[in-house]
Amino acid sequence: MPEKKKIVGMSKPVFIAVLLVILAVTIVSFLAGGIGQALFGIDFPEWLTVKQPEPHLPPAPIFHIGGFAVTNTILTAWISIILLVLLFWAATRRMKLIPGRFQAIAESVIGYLYDFCTDIAGEKNGRKFFPLVATIFLFVITNALMNLIPGYNSFLINDGNHMVHLLRGANTDVNFPLALAVISFVMVEYWGLKTIGVLHYLSKFFNFGPLINSFKNFRKEGLMGVFNGLIAIFIGLIELMAEFIRIISFTFRLFGNMTGGEILLVSMLFLMPFLLALPFYGLELLVGFIQALIFAGLTLVFAHIAVTPHSEEASENH
Amino acid sequence: MDKLGIDLASFIAQLVNFGILLGLLYLVAYKPILRMMDGRAARIKESLEQAEETKKQAEAAEVEFKRQIAEASKQGQAVIERASRTADEIRQKAQEEARTEAEALITRAKADIRRERDEVIDELRKEFADLTVLAAGKVIGKSLDKEAHRDLINQVLEESTQLRKN
Repeated sequence: MPEKKKIVGMSKPVFIAVLLVILAVTIVSFLAGGIGQALFGIDFPEWLTVKQPEPHLPPAPIFHIGGFAVTNTILTAWISIILLVLLFWAATRRMKLIPGRFQAIAESVIGYLYDFCTDIAGEKNGRKFFPLVATIFLFVITNALMNLIPGYNSFLINDGNHMVHLLRGANTDVNFPLALAVISFVMVEYWGLKTIGVLHYLSKFFNFGPLINSFKNFRKEGLMGVFNGLIAIFIGLIELMAEFIRIISFTFRLFGNMTGGEILLVSMLFLMPFLLALPFYGLELLVGFIQALIFAGLTLVFAHIAVTPHSEEASENH
Repeated sequence: MDKLGIDLASFIAQLVNFGILLGLLYLVAYKPILRMMDGRAARIKESLEQAEETKKQAEAAEVEFKRQIAEASKQGQAVIERASRTADEIRQKAQEEARTEAEALITRAKADIRRERDEVIDELRKEFADLTVLAAGKVIGKSLDKEAHRDLINQVLEESTQLRKN
């Protein structure tokens, strides 16, 4: 019996049927989507068309506890916390020396993050930075990935005046990246101050040493020395400013990428409900991972820089 | 700020969220998993060291074993050599003894034979002398001095035997 020719693992009639279905879905979704509606204006039942998205940046409050408004982003942050903790609790409940599959997955995730920390910051510091870095990574990526669960944006709730989304990725609420950025900043400065001493650490930003030295050696160096001293102070202040600007760059890198991704997804869903959004889902998977890695990685790198004494270069100049 | 959605309460809530997550993850993930991984690393290191130790011991044992075998073989060789030498000696000695004995036997036999032959010869001679004397007496017909004749004959015979013996 001659073997039947197969196309992409399907026999010919099946393949043609699948193609036809895809074609039909494409046509329907094109006509039902924003572009098709604008061009042809064919009436589709309401469940097929997608309303024009109206993205707004502030999260919507869902309910109030006392005077505190629980927004949809805080709710999803809670959900992701519960999810993460439950997963790891289940994986590490009965730790075994020879791990089962679940424990092995949890261990490989934690081991990957741990190696990431120790590779960059060395064994001792890496271990110290690891909990913060890993938590940032896991929190951000969990929020980002949950955002991509189908139907995640479909729950609507009436907050009194109009319908709002019940769930919204915490990354798209500016308060969340801002909180992470502030934590990252505070911890980096704390480690820097603690590890290399308050005075020594602050001397990086308030660098009066060269100016004072230039007065001492005025006869030898002259005005050029004073000028160099002033430049050193200026550079120190710029470094100080850069330290604070990190908060803003941290915040808006994550917030911008995630919010942009979400708006991109809903826009594509509006333009063509079924197929067009698929590649962007894949893209957002990658973006979520990359943003989590960048946030955690930059925190790690800045922490590593902060705990590395900066006197070496300075003392070499003298 | 309002357009962006920055809100102090939300911000603090997210700070607290992060703190809670950090604490919980530390309890359920970081601490147990790192401890487990450290423990496993230590265990693996220990096992490797143990394996190394065992291997060394095995190698030492093998060397010792080979040495013992060589020694035993040498000893065995020596035993075999000694035994073979002893066997040679014993055989030689046995041969020697056998030869000596045989020679002694031969010598004694020869002596016996000679003695017996001599006895026979003596007997014969005696009888011959008697016969000769008798014959001579018969021939001559008269009895001669028996004793004198006999002596004479004996003397002749003695000379002849001596001649022949020589």
